Amino acid sequence: MASDASATVSGGFVVDQAEQARFMAAKRRLLWRKRLLPVGAVILLLVLWHWAVVAFDIKPFIAPTPTAVFRVLIQRFDILMANLMPTAIEAVCGFLLGNFAAIALATAFVHNRAAEEAFFPIAVMVNTIPVVAKAPILVLLLGNGMEPKIAIAALICFFPTLVNMVRGLQDVNPQALELMRVLSASPREIFLKIRVQNSLPYLFSALKIAASTSVIGAIVGEWIGSVKGIGALIIQATYAFDTPLLYATIAVGSTFSACFFGVIGLIERHVVKWKSDRAG
Amino acid sequence: MTAAVAVSGAIPAGTAAPAKSGAAEAVRCEGVTVRFTTERGTVTALDGVSLAIHAGSFLTLLGPSGCGKSTLLRVIADLVPPSAGKVAVLGAKPEVARRNRDIGFVFQDAALLPWRTALQNVQLPFEVGGAQQRPGTRPPEELLKLVGLAGWENAYPHELSGGMRQRVSIARALVSGPKLLLMDEPFGALDEITRDRLNEELLDVWESTGTTIVFVTHSIYEAVFLSQQVLMLAARPGRVRALVPITLPSPRRLPVRETAEFVALAGLLRRELENC
Ligand SMILES: Nc1ncnc2c1ncn2[C@@H]1O[C@H](COP(=O)(O)OP(=O)(O)OP(=O)(O)O)[C@@H](O)[C@H]1O
Ligand SMILES: [Mg+2]
Repeated sequence: MASDASATVSGGFVVDQAEQARFMAAKRRLLWRKRLLPVGAVILLLVLWHWAVVAFDIKPFIAPTPTAVFRVLIQRFDILMANLMPTAIEAVCGFLLGNFAAIALATAFVHNRAAEEAFFPIAVMVNTIPVVAKAPILVLLLGNGMEPKIAIAALICFFPTLVNMVRGLQDVNPQALELMRVLSASPREIFLKIRVQNSLPYLFSALKIAASTSVIGAIVGEWIGSVKGIGALIIQATYAFDTPLLYATIAVGSTFSACFFGVIGLIERHVVKWKSDRAG
Repeated sequence: MTAAVAVSGAIPAGTAAPAKSGAAEAVRCEGVTVRFTTERGTVTALDGVSLAIHAGSFLTLLGPSGCGKSTLLRVIADLVPPSAGKVAVLGAKPEVARRNRDIGFVFQDAALLPWRTALQNVQLPFEVGGAQQRPGTRPPEELLKLVGLAGWENAYPHELSGGMRQRVSIARALVSGPKLLLMDEPFGALDEITRDRLNEELLDVWESTGTTIVFVTHSIYEAVFLSQQVLMLAARPGRVRALVPITLPSPRRLPVRETAEFVALAGLLRRELENC
């Protein structure tokens, strides 16, 4: 077929220097806007918060000022970090374990419909038990070390990933499957070249949820008879009415959560370079 | 003059079933019936369809919506098993032809894999089904050039227009050098100008590769412009109504559509379609 000369002379992307520069400048502007606006909003909220505490003369043990929290963050940085360490390890281990199990099970489900029909309802049932109820059971089963916390973090990651992964592996374009049949592809090739690829956007949206919930799981696990970790520090600070420390602990926990989320997002951008018209 | 063409053009349904099977036959269907059973009952999509398509010819299926055009293509491609009747592709069972990579299929909505670039999509046929590049067939890069997409090798489908995606899928169907190319409304979603251009380009490909093409369309003009024969199907149940030879000279260019002969043939097909 002849090339359509009217649209693009040599095919491919035509590079127009001025237009390209304009495009990049507009893109940069939007990016800075997206970065700076939330920072501005945070500063505004902190100022409001500070003003409210001072204006209404609220006692420090009920609500501290942001500056008091900030002071604790700097002065007791070593204690905060020492307690972040175990929580981070538990959250990351739980994340890896829970997601790995979910991906493995989803793969098994796609290969064996009977297994899915038998075990999916059980997975749904286990998921309806709230974390706070699962935590004591696991502590009783696994002792007081890191294991029960890892197990809780893993369980909390497991379900969303399982559901998303099963959907991603199954929800493929039917025409893509017909195409593979026309090409006489083997079931293994269909799995690797269609289903796995199709599931990646679904998987990453589950992993991003799991990145934050695994930290929550580890913290909740530490609430039950733990002496170290962000969860333990939250309990200790609360009972000691050391509210600035409580706030600082929470800030450290959520900062870690946000970083974890960011890392997963970064990996996603390198793995999924295409746009899906199906995955949400 | 118009009337003369019309009268001699139509061949009654009975003669659409050909007599002898020869070596130069790309497709042969004998009494093919396809039924689909669902909760709401059984649909007879095709009812006793018989036809023969000569190797190297260009045949278009034309008929009202739901008359079984897609189903007929899918039976030929071994995507749907017939409930009754026999199908032969290149003298063998459709499954054999499919496994030999003798069949290329172009889907209505391109069906490109969104995670693959244009070039990777065209390379897909060599990565699955244990197929290797046949001697004498053109490499993927060259086929992209053939369909006018040189320079777009590394673009993802979401960066391509609908017409470009359709051309990638045509390149993918051609890459294994199929002897039979099945196309299900490939240009249905395109604007008329793009469609005209792709029609001309498709005729070029057909003439340069010598493959047999079975083409489905709803456009009477497209059918007359492209085909050597138009097979008209009637609906409910889907059956052969007439086989209309298109006697326009080849090679054809777009201005042929303004000739009296073209207009007469289009009118004939329209009247046939209205009676389907
Ligand atoms: N997988 C299926 N299950 C049930 N019924 C089907 C299936 N595929 C096709 N049919 C039915 O078979 C009949 C023929 O369908 P087919 O898609 O072949 O028509 P078509 O001629 O291609 O129509 P269109 O021009 O609208 O694409 C229709 O009545 C349709 O409802
Ligand atoms: Mg159809």
